[in-house]
Amino acid sequence: MSVAAHARWRRRALLAPAGLLLAAAFVGPLLLVASFSVLEPGLYGGVEWHWYPYNFGRVLGAPLGDVEEFDAAYATTLARSVKLALLVTLVSVAVCYPAAWWVSRLPPRRRALALFVVTLPFFANLIVRVYAWMLILRPTGVLNLVLAALGAGDAATDLMYTEAAVVIGLVYVLLPFMFLPLYASIEKLDPALLAASRDLGATPAQTFVRVALPLTLPGIVGGAAIVFIPALGNFVVPSLLGGSKVMLAGNLIEQQFLAARNWPFGAALAMLLLAFVLVVMLAAAWRRGTRGAVA
Amino acid sequence: MAASVLLSITGATRRFRTPEGGSVHALDAVDLDVRGNEFLTLLGPSGCGKTTLLKAIAGFEDLDAGDIRLDGASLRDVPAHRRPFNTVFQSYALFPHLSVADNVGYGLDVARVPRAERDRRVAEALARVGLEAMGRRAPRQLSGGQQQRVALARALVNRPRLLLLDEPLSALDRHLRQAMQGELKALQHDVGITFLVVTHDQEEALAMSDRIAVMHAGRVRQLGTPAEIYDTPVDRFVAGFVGASNLVRGTWRSTAHGGGCVTTPAGIDIHAEGVASIANGATVDALLRPEQLSPIADGAGAAGPTLAATVASTVFVGPDVHLHAHLADGTPLQALLRHARGQALPFAVGARVVLAYRPAAVHVIAAQAT
Ligand SMILES: Nc1ncnc2c1ncn2[C@@H]1O[C@H](COP(=O)(O)OP(=O)(O)O)[C@@H](O)[C@H]1O
Ligand SMILES: [Mg+2]
Repeated sequence: MSVAAHARWRRRALLAPAGLLLAAAFVGPLLLVASFSVLEPGLYGGVEWHWYPYNFGRVLGAPLGDVEEFDAAYATTLARSVKLALLVTLVSVAVCYPAAWWVSRLPPRRRALALFVVTLPFFANLIVRVYAWMLILRPTGVLNLVLAALGAGDAATDLMYTEAAVVIGLVYVLLPFMFLPLYASIEKLDPALLAASRDLGATPAQTFVRVALPLTLPGIVGGAAIVFIPALGNFVVPSLLGGSKVMLAGNLIEQQFLAARNWPFGAALAMLLLAFVLVVMLAAAWRRGTRGAVA
Repeated sequence: MAASVLLSITGATRRFRTPEGGSVHALDAVDLDVRGNEFLTLLGPSGCGKTTLLKAIAGFEDLDAGDIRLDGASLRDVPAHRRPFNTVFQSYALFPHLSVADNVGYGLDVARVPRAERDRRVAEALARVGLEAMGRRAPRQLSGGQQQRVALARALVNRPRLLLLDEPLSALDRHLRQAMQGELKALQHDVGITFLVVTHDQEEALAMSDRIAVMHAGRVRQLGTPAEIYDTPVDRFVAGFVGASNLVRGTWRSTAHGGGCVTTPAGIDIHAEGVASIANGATVDALLRPEQLSPIADGAGAAGPTLAATVASTVFVGPDVHLHAHLADGTPLQALLRHARGQALPFAVGARVVLAYRPAAVHVIAAQAT
């Protein structure tokens, strides 16, 4: 066997475990859900195995021919999910960027400690951590106690079961996923480049916009992707902090699969969400590709 | 002709905490005047404060005491981006996300120079460093030497009052470094901008500079032309740092008209001329540059004074042969011999050798108390 052939086989062997796992645990179920989405719901749950394109019509309406069961509430829920997921992403960037910058400028030992602190939430159960936020946000919760103690009792609010509560909860849960890619790109930013920019007459603000931001953009895009996508599909946080008042795509899908036992419609909703995410990701990748060609 | 002072540094002091809890004087009351349109080099060993001084001038480092004035006005409250200086960073610090032309145009862009003028000046600056064809490339697609030229163009295009260069040649290989020494000097002459260059390489400093400031432990030990620094160093440190040197300690006995001799404890005399203001009986160091010592095999035909020595080793380096010898009391001395093709070296290890010198070539340095 030639050296090249040998290397080829070794590469295949290295990829085999991940490839098999992806095929079994990702591609298989995905194909199953995709096929469910075009099957007829069974009367008592399950599916009838014949072609039935009308699940999508309930969300998208007339173009797909099922005017009868169309309900704008589904599209509204998906749109609200996109809006809140975007908001969560923006808040996460705004919170994490300065923090990651600060951590990246610490001396090495304190930097390691700070990074450990960032990953600390992973050590506690997700549900427990979200319940803690209920204790903070409810009318008799910590937030209002603190406001009262500060003499700002008038400002007391009931944030439970609002969009704000859901955004707070999602930001909290997803923060480390934004922080780590941001930190990785900011840490690689050479301070000499910032000095060079200042030296050439740029103000600190100009330096940030013209040098720091473009060079840390990969971290921002990476962090945004891995915060936006789970925020879009998450159903634990909206069901605990949003209740029935703030229904998001994740809750809707969960409801169809578990409560309504309408698997095909749940599958159709899931496919719509997936299609949306894919379009956004491909657009981002394409933009990066065209700009990468200049440099 | 008294050249005008551009930048005046007075009492510049900067201390840093060390990790051990002590403090280090990176700058210790530095006084230095930088003149208009000169090529001034800060020369000193690693850690002597050169970069700190450059950063203080550029506005990236505060001073604990002292002041830096431009045309007589203090720069204390002027932030880095408003100082009319530009820096060529040791690592070049080219922006990796911008093309070569956009790197060069950066300063003009932030100053909102109109597009047409900006493009013209960028093209001009790139042409000046011989990179007119490289404007569209990314910095990483250039060699180290080319990247440095981009860094130079990026700084010069802004027509700074003062160009600061931190170890500009240290990342280049030997051949390129020597070629760039000449180019930097020529460039400075062409553009008429003051260059303040930091280096730890004394040959480089001697080759490029109009004046050299030799630094040691946060202080400027001597400021002068390359010839002044080389021929008449003010102390042992400067003498030892710049060029190869033989320093022989002894006691000064003056005769008439600045002449006299340095006598070592072992009673060896070294004659000197043109020595001013050293008290009789003072402890001094006699500096004899290796090229001022002429080795003679049998001592015959020496016109002036001589030193008797024993050959310890000879090292052939191409154009020259370094002859290492020692005096009767063990003091090591180095002498330089021109290599003559086809002639065997007349000095065997262990052989006696006579080293002839001219008293006018001996420089006498008063030894410091410290
Ligand atoms: N930011 C800093 N913190 C602590 N010590 C520093 C800092 N910058 C420089 N020093 C110390 O100051 C001294 C001078 O440094 P520097 O100006 O970089 O020297 P050079 O450029 O001549 O090699 C060194 O002892 C160095 O360790
Ligand atoms: Mg330095």
